[in-house]
Amino acid sequence: MQFYCCGRPSQTSYLSRASGHFSFVPLWVLSNSQRFVGGAMMTNVWEAVVLLLLPFLAPNAEGTQYSPPGKPALTRCRSPEKETFTCWWEPGSDGGLSTTYALYYRKENSETVYECPDYHTAGENSCFFNKNDTSIWVNYNITVVATNALGSSFSDPVDIDVVYIVKPNPPEELNVTIMEDKGWPYLRVSWKPPQKADTRSGWITLIYELRVKLEGEDDWEMHLAGQQKMFNIFSLRSGGSYHVQVRCKPDHGFWSEWSSADYIKVPDYFHREKSMWILITVFSTFIFLIFMCFLHMNSNSLKYYILPPIPGPKIKGFDKQLLKNGKSDEIFCALVVPDFPPTTSSKCENLMVEYLEVYVSEEQELILEESKELHNSLKCEGSTSDNDSGRGSCDSHTLLMDKCGEAKGDERQTDGEGHPMEMEAQMHQRDWKEGTLSSAYQDIVSPDMSSGRVKTWPSVFSPLHQCGSTSLNQMNSLAMAKQHCLSDNLSPPGSASSFLPQSGRSTTETHRPNYCEFYSSDKQLSSPKPQAQTHRKLQAHSDINISHKQAGLQSPALRPTEYVEVQRVNKEDMVLLQPVESGCVCGDGCPQVCQDYSKVKGLNSDNMLLLHRDVMEGEEVRSHCEKQETNGCITSHITPATQKPTDCIPTVTPIVQKEMGLAVSGYVDTAAMLTLPTH
Amino acid sequence: MTKAWFAVLTLLYLDLSMRVGTAPVCAYGQAGCHVPALADLFDRVIQQSSRMHGVSSDLHSESDQYFLPSRNLIGKRKCHTYGIRTPDDKENAQRLGPEQLIEVILSLLGAWDDPLSQFYRSISQDQNQDFNHYSSNKAMEISDMVHDLRDGVAKMADKMKLSGVLGNAANYISPESSVSFYKRGELNSVDHHDLLLCFHRDADKIKNYLRVLKCTTLPGLDC
Repeated sequence: MQFYCCGRPSQTSYLSRASGHFSFVPLWVLSNSQRFVGGAMMTNVWEAVVLLLLPFLAPNAEGTQYSPPGKPALTRCRSPEKETFTCWWEPGSDGGLSTTYALYYRKENSETVYECPDYHTAGENSCFFNKNDTSIWVNYNITVVATNALGSSFSDPVDIDVVYIVKPNPPEELNVTIMEDKGWPYLRVSWKPPQKADTRSGWITLIYELRVKLEGEDDWEMHLAGQQKMFNIFSLRSGGSYHVQVRCKPDHGFWSEWSSADYIKVPDYFHREKSMWILITVFSTFIFLIFMCFLHMNSNSLKYYILPPIPGPKIKGFDKQLLKNGKSDEIFCALVVPDFPPTTSSKCENLMVEYLEVYVSEEQELILEESKELHNSLKCEGSTSDNDSGRGSCDSHTLLMDKCGEAKGDERQTDGEGHPMEMEAQMHQRDWKEGTLSSAYQDIVSPDMSSGRVKTWPSVFSPLHQCGSTSLNQMNSLAMAKQHCLSDNLSPPGSASSFLPQSGRSTTETHRPNYCEFYSSDKQLSSPKPQAQTHRKLQAHSDINISHKQAGLQSPALRPTEYVEVQRVNKEDMVLLQPVESGCVCGDGCPQVCQDYSKVKGLNSDNMLLLHRDVMEGEEVRSHCEKQETNGCITSHITPATQKPTDCIPTVTPIVQKEMGLAVSGYVDTAAMLTLPTH
Repeated sequence: MTKAWFAVLTLLYLDLSMRVGTAPVCAYGQAGCHVPALADLFDRVIQQSSRMHGVSSDLHSESDQYFLPSRNLIGKRKCHTYGIRTPDDKENAQRLGPEQLIEVILSLLGAWDDPLSQFYRSISQDQNQDFNHYSSNKAMEISDMVHDLRDGVAKMADKMKLSGVLGNAANYISPESSVSFYKRGELNSVDHHDLLLCFHRDADKIKNYLRVLKCTTLPGLDC
């Protein structure tokens, strides 16, 4: 280590072995220490001897071991304003003896060693360089020497340039005020540069930084302010208390310490806009509540207004349960209502025309049987309804065309029940589609018969049969035949029993059970049962009596086509049927029934059919009948005006029942409609 | 067709007649001409000097990696500008006065023109990887900056003379010794390091002198 001092070149270096610390102690140091020790040069020698002998004298003495001082170290040098600077050092171990420290420096490109001019101004272990001693842009080489009685030690030299060690004092006169900008408050922070730093002359240029935080929080918000001495802080919290601090830094140097904090409390402000929004919110909430109350009160009506109930499928006879069961056949059978389709049903089920006995040759029978299969589809030929009141069924081109045709051709007495009935059944099948007679079928299920039943020709039910269960489809003609009260049954006397409790009618006559023995078809009809049983316990029975009563007149005539006309409705709400005179033979082979209708006045709540006793005059009837001629049906008007019984009896015009949906026409679907109140 | 020709001729005539004479803007400081104010000039010059100083700091810190951090011109090595007497504290700087300050500034700037060019040449040819490509770009940039700053300060001095702030006794001496110092051709890495260190310091001096000059002649908010 070289050390230049005081203009004298380095001289001998004294190696101090005593402390084991090898350091070069220049002579001038020793001369200084000599001052402390005092005395002449002799003491110098004594000192040296003592120092040499010290380690041998007390090699391992405890506590009282003296040693030369430890190596000091320059910790830092700082200049607050780039005009003066201070250096601090850290002393090493003092070795148990009083140790002195000295700082020596050398300037750049100069051999002169200077000692620190001021050890006190800056405190202990420091050296203060005043303005005269400070040169900017000059390298200083600084060393600290620690010296005690036993030796001295040098610190490591440090090169500094004052420009790079500037650390200014904190800014002063920090001032925070609250300003307002359009109702929003903000902080205005202002300060002054530290007093010592001469920024006015431009000798030193400072940049500033400030930090803000809310009272009680830990996070500071930093803001770099540049060279300006004023700053605005926005976005304040209402009612919050803020701490503000500021510090500065020269171009090249260190940041100063934070200035003392300034506290400011932001007053509570309630912004006008916010209050307006609060008012709006409250108001709208109030209105909303009122609206909800209104909604709640009128929820039902509104529900219907907004979401009108969807009309469910009102397919008569449609049973959802059946649908779930998944048996389509049953479902479709259930759909077959006796009065469906309304228009055609009324025609189809005209009392007068519903039964047609036809004798078919065997060949035709076979054909018909085959064709029966074709007609298993449960469609009712929705023939266009035409108001054929007053016309024979054959007159109506929509009805019974085939039947009439065949009847005409086969007006022959049938022998037994079998084939003719079959034929008829088949024909009925064809002609009568589902809906009209289905309900009648269902009605027939229950064997109990009440007195007030209207018996109609069971041929009404033939299509019903069709739409029944699968077994129905397979039903043989025999079963069908059973259900058909065929006219041929009328002939054999005593074979049938009449259910017509009419007094006028012969009850003795046996009616063959050509009233529909629907019991036999129980099994078939069981499926469509559910709906039917509700109200329509209609049983149609062929009134053979009627036919017989007519003094056999009509027997032969009725054979092929037997119509029943409703004579009247008696007090017991029974529809009195009477066979139609067969004189009326249409071109289609249907007797006219044009004028023998009774209008149904209405149906009361007890499911009673109120018929309208509207007796038409014969002439009128006649004329009415004559009109039928236009249909191409020759109706021989047989009934003379005098013959009361054959007067045109008002037909029972069916009324449209709500449940049945019958179209208003001139026919009564007695099978479907009449539910007599006796049961 | 004739109409079109007529229009073309009319436009041509108008163009020729309305042609304005061009002249350098504010060449002679005529009235109505917007001459940049002295304060603006000062600001620009100071900005330029700050930028120059920043680049020099980068270069110096980079070259310092290859040397002991404590090595700092110990020994007989000196900056070639040591012959230029520069004030080394505030009082001396203030005592000099604006004219002399400008003189010092210009001297310093002039003294570094050549050495920096040499330095750049040396770096670009340097094979010892002391400096990377980034540094060589900076070296080139620095020499241009010094040149521009020198011109800017000269203009500013003229402006100050015109404003009467400055006397006419400004003489700019370009020391020859600086050039000779680095005349020996190739510079080694020690030379590089010393050169950069010297330049870093001189850039700081220039920046500081300019600031003092500004606040002395135009005391304002920044001072």
